[in-house]
Amino acid sequence: MATLELDSITKTFQDGDEEIVAVDDVSLSIDDGEFLVVVGPSGCGKSTTLRMVAGLETITSGTLSIDNRVVNDVKSQDRDIAMVFQSYALYPHMSVRQNMSFGLEESTDLPDDEINRMVSETGEMLGISNLLDRKPSDLSGGQQQRVALGRAIVRDPEVFLMDEPLSNLDAKLRAEMRTELQRLQNDLGVTTVYVTHDQTEAMTMGDRIAILDGGELQQVATPLECYHEPTNQFVASFLGEPSMNFFDVTLEGDRLVGEVFEYSIDESVQSDLGGVTDLRLGIRPEAVELVDEGGEHAFETTVDVVEPMGDENTVYLHFDPDADPETAATLVATIDGFNRVSEGDTVTARVPEDAIHVFDRATGEALHNRSMEDAAAQIDL
Amino acid sequence: MSDTEPRTDGGTMTTTARLRRTLDQTTVEDAGLYVVLIFAAAFYLVPIESGLVTSFKTGTAIIETAPFAPPGASGLTFEKWQAAIDALLRGMGNSLLYAVPATVISAFVGSVTAYGLTIPTWKQSYKAVVLMLIIAGIFIPYQAVLVPLTQFWSQWVQLTQTLSFVWALGVPDDYAGIIELVITHVAYGIPICTLLFRTYYKTMSDEMIESARLDGATLRRVYRRIVLPLSGPMFAVVLIYQFTQIWNDLLFTLVLVSTESSPAAPVVLILAGLGTSLEGQDFALRMAGAFFAALPTLAVYIFFGEEFAEGVAA
Amino acid sequence: MLDFYRRLYRTIRPSSGDDEANPDDGGVRADGGVVTDGPAAEPPAEPDRDVTTRLKASLDRRFGSDFMESSVFWLPPFLLMGLFVYGAVIWNLLISLTDYQRFENAPDYSDLDFEMYTRALADSGFIDAAVNTLILLIAFTAGTLIVGLVLAILIDRGIRFENTFRTIYLLPMSLSFVVTAQFWLWIYNYNNGIANNLIGTFGLGPISWLGNQDIVLYAIIFALMWQFSGYAMVVYLAGLRAIPTEHYEAAKVDGASALKMYWRVIIPQLKGATISAAVVLMVFGMKAFDFLYSLVGGYRPPNGADILATKMVREAYANLNWAYGSAIAIVLFGMALSVIGPYLVYEYRRNNL
Repeated sequence: MATLELDSITKTFQDGDEEIVAVDDVSLSIDDGEFLVVVGPSGCGKSTTLRMVAGLETITSGTLSIDNRVVNDVKSQDRDIAMVFQSYALYPHMSVRQNMSFGLEESTDLPDDEINRMVSETGEMLGISNLLDRKPSDLSGGQQQRVALGRAIVRDPEVFLMDEPLSNLDAKLRAEMRTELQRLQNDLGVTTVYVTHDQTEAMTMGDRIAILDGGELQQVATPLECYHEPTNQFVASFLGEPSMNFFDVTLEGDRLVGEVFEYSIDESVQSDLGGVTDLRLGIRPEAVELVDEGGEHAFETTVDVVEPMGDENTVYLHFDPDADPETAATLVATIDGFNRVSEGDTVTARVPEDAIHVFDRATGEALHNRSMEDAAAQIDL
Repeated sequence: MSDTEPRTDGGTMTTTARLRRTLDQTTVEDAGLYVVLIFAAAFYLVPIESGLVTSFKTGTAIIETAPFAPPGASGLTFEKWQAAIDALLRGMGNSLLYAVPATVISAFVGSVTAYGLTIPTWKQSYKAVVLMLIIAGIFIPYQAVLVPLTQFWSQWVQLTQTLSFVWALGVPDDYAGIIELVITHVAYGIPICTLLFRTYYKTMSDEMIESARLDGATLRRVYRRIVLPLSGPMFAVVLIYQFTQIWNDLLFTLVLVSTESSPAAPVVLILAGLGTSLEGQDFALRMAGAFFAALPTLAVYIFFGEEFAEGVAA
Repeated sequence: MLDFYRRLYRTIRPSSGDDEANPDDGGVRADGGVVTDGPAAEPPAEPDRDVTTRLKASLDRRFGSDFMESSVFWLPPFLLMGLFVYGAVIWNLLISLTDYQRFENAPDYSDLDFEMYTRALADSGFIDAAVNTLILLIAFTAGTLIVGLVLAILIDRGIRFENTFRTIYLLPMSLSFVVTAQFWLWIYNYNNGIANNLIGTFGLGPISWLGNQDIVLYAIIFALMWQFSGYAMVVYLAGLRAIPTEHYEAAKVDGASALKMYWRVIIPQLKGATISAAVVLMVFGMKAFDFLYSLVGGYRPPNGADILATKMVREAYANLNWAYGSAIAIVLFGMALSVIGPYLVYEYRRNNL
């Protein structure tokens, strides 16, 4: 068990004469036993970050410490970490048992029977005891995944590193393994860094998530904080499916004036804006309500497309019924699956003021977020 | 884990071939195709076949029958084979004496070198320089090193003197040439063996190697426990290729062992002068000798044709 | 393995033990420092961080993290090979500048000049051999590539018994030059050989294939093509297999005839295969010594078929003109280099090394 500290970690690659910054000044501090998910679009530097922690990439600048020991120049094998790879990276010529003992044989002086005992125990914990004498090529994807996990667990390392370990599984198995991984991590209490591009994994698994974009750290917080109180527009748009609605607006007095609508805001929101007038208004689809009659913050809209998902519907609304659907401003709303609306209907959509986000259009920085307490209260309802 | 299976992937090849086949369905064209293919096969086989039948012919049969026709009952003789075997058997043993160790050592050294230049992480640009120097070594015309090689073995490293205790045991000191051949073939075999293993190691999964390193294995242990056990298919290719090359090589044997009358003369050296006399050339004897000398490489080719093809294509 | 270096270093520098206690460690590190060495990368001094480790670490940082540990694997073989290949070539160059000949035990390196090279230029035998070498290289390489390409295309058309045909075509490649020379000697035999038998049925000949100075070189090139076209076929076959089937289909859909399809669509994609096969074939061609030697069972190839490879060995080992032989070898080496050099650069550019 250990803490993990990344202090201004930077990684640059040389591509001909060009210097490419893959990871830019990332600082993270991971508590003992914490499950941190690093998430971001492909090419955001999340895997490079993980590989630097593993010692598979050199660190261009910054300090990496495990349990307050600087390990920049410590080789992978001496960092006491275990890693689960996307391809599982099992040794194809060894049986499952040999795969799992390999790390213990190479990194410890434990006697063979002790190693055997540990492998058997871990196998039991993961439910792969019956597979121990098989070769990886005889196993299904899910079983290989378990072996890869077992190989990491049996070593009882200070830190677990996982690089998209579930992305080669089919959707159903992935959901199962997600839960199981979380349970295992909870039981073992090993500090874990988990890299993924899948926001569902990020939201459901991590104690905290770290969102990377373009090599830069955007936000580190609990999943709900990131979701409801994003620090900037990137985080707001990256989390959530369907993505948050954004509208370019200008502050005029107590109103946000957009191309097709005006939205009045009260003083507390105004004060958050700090005088910035070029803004972007954000609203999560599930916060949009379809109401029977107009009023403040309610708009007449036309239904363009309805996507039924079963438990809920995703509807695409246009403010102007005659607008070209290709270019017109669209408001996406998720509504109850039993709420029957169909294309061409005119509906009134309300955008509650306590659910809006306002961003600085120039910097993308969040100026006003919905409050977590309000959001929590609504969930309780 | 497809990267570890032998790469002789017959499955996908036949599917694409079948796809291509559907493109041209004209059967007349097909028939023409097979005629051409069979003619081509005859072109490659006739010299060999003609040699084989000739080796069983008596002197008169050689003059009287067509060169590619079988000898017939009256013209059949095994005498030439007998003579060829008598003349070459000693050389055969000598050839094995250096070809086998040189093949095994160069394959192993090539594997180790390729591993050090492929799997561990160090700067690609420096690796490329080392690799370029090694690969260029494959293409060096050996004439460019012959005189220094002779100097080296005859003036600098005088095995004949150094190993005098061996000759004292009754081994003819000509066998120093065999040891020289082993070392020489290993040294000049390193480039091609390294290249062959490198193409194979490049296909190994990076994540698997990284995983082993994270598991605490040193580079030496990674080689011993992961890379070497997975190198089997490539060892087959390299061993076969190297054996053929070393067995068939004449130039080094000529320079290092020099005379076909030496007790250590390899088979190629004896064969090159076989059947030549003042009265003219004894073709039947030459053919019998050629076949006998080619037997080991032919056997290797027939049993491991797939690996041989892979070796030469790399 | 690391211990080996550590021990080695200790023996070279017995005082290194003292350095552990030396508080002034920073100086050395700064020297070994690299661009990537940020201020924060300075780790706290650990007791076992002696000079050796630091030296190793600084080397590793310059060359990559596994440089020192991996050198045990590739460095000794690299040195052995470097000694035998590059060391020998340089030595050979030196010898070619001396007057080393006959039964002298060693060359006299005190008097170096280009006499052997001027002698070569004045030697009509050398000029003939050089011309023959060029003809052999070009005709043999081009001919072999064409035959190999045709065979590969035929075999790739989804035929039955593909493996059998391929095995037959490649068979001569597994044989020694010494062996194939015997076969072709018999084929080219004036009285009973197949070659004269065959043209006899058309009412031609007989021809003295190996005796006629104008023909012999081409007769030999033909024999070499027989031996190596299977190799070219295998290389082309691998190239053809790498071309996606869609390209054939697209060309068909576009209405191209089979001939046009290969000429316009498929063959241009075989550039890489052609280049690597051509380089290897040229090298085989330069090594045709074994074949010519075995053909006559001696150093003197048939008149009109002398090439640099045979002339070099003859001058050195039969005539004992060691220095002159070395000079010819250097010319041959230069020819090889002019082929290999660009090839290696090409492969390096394509990131194929």
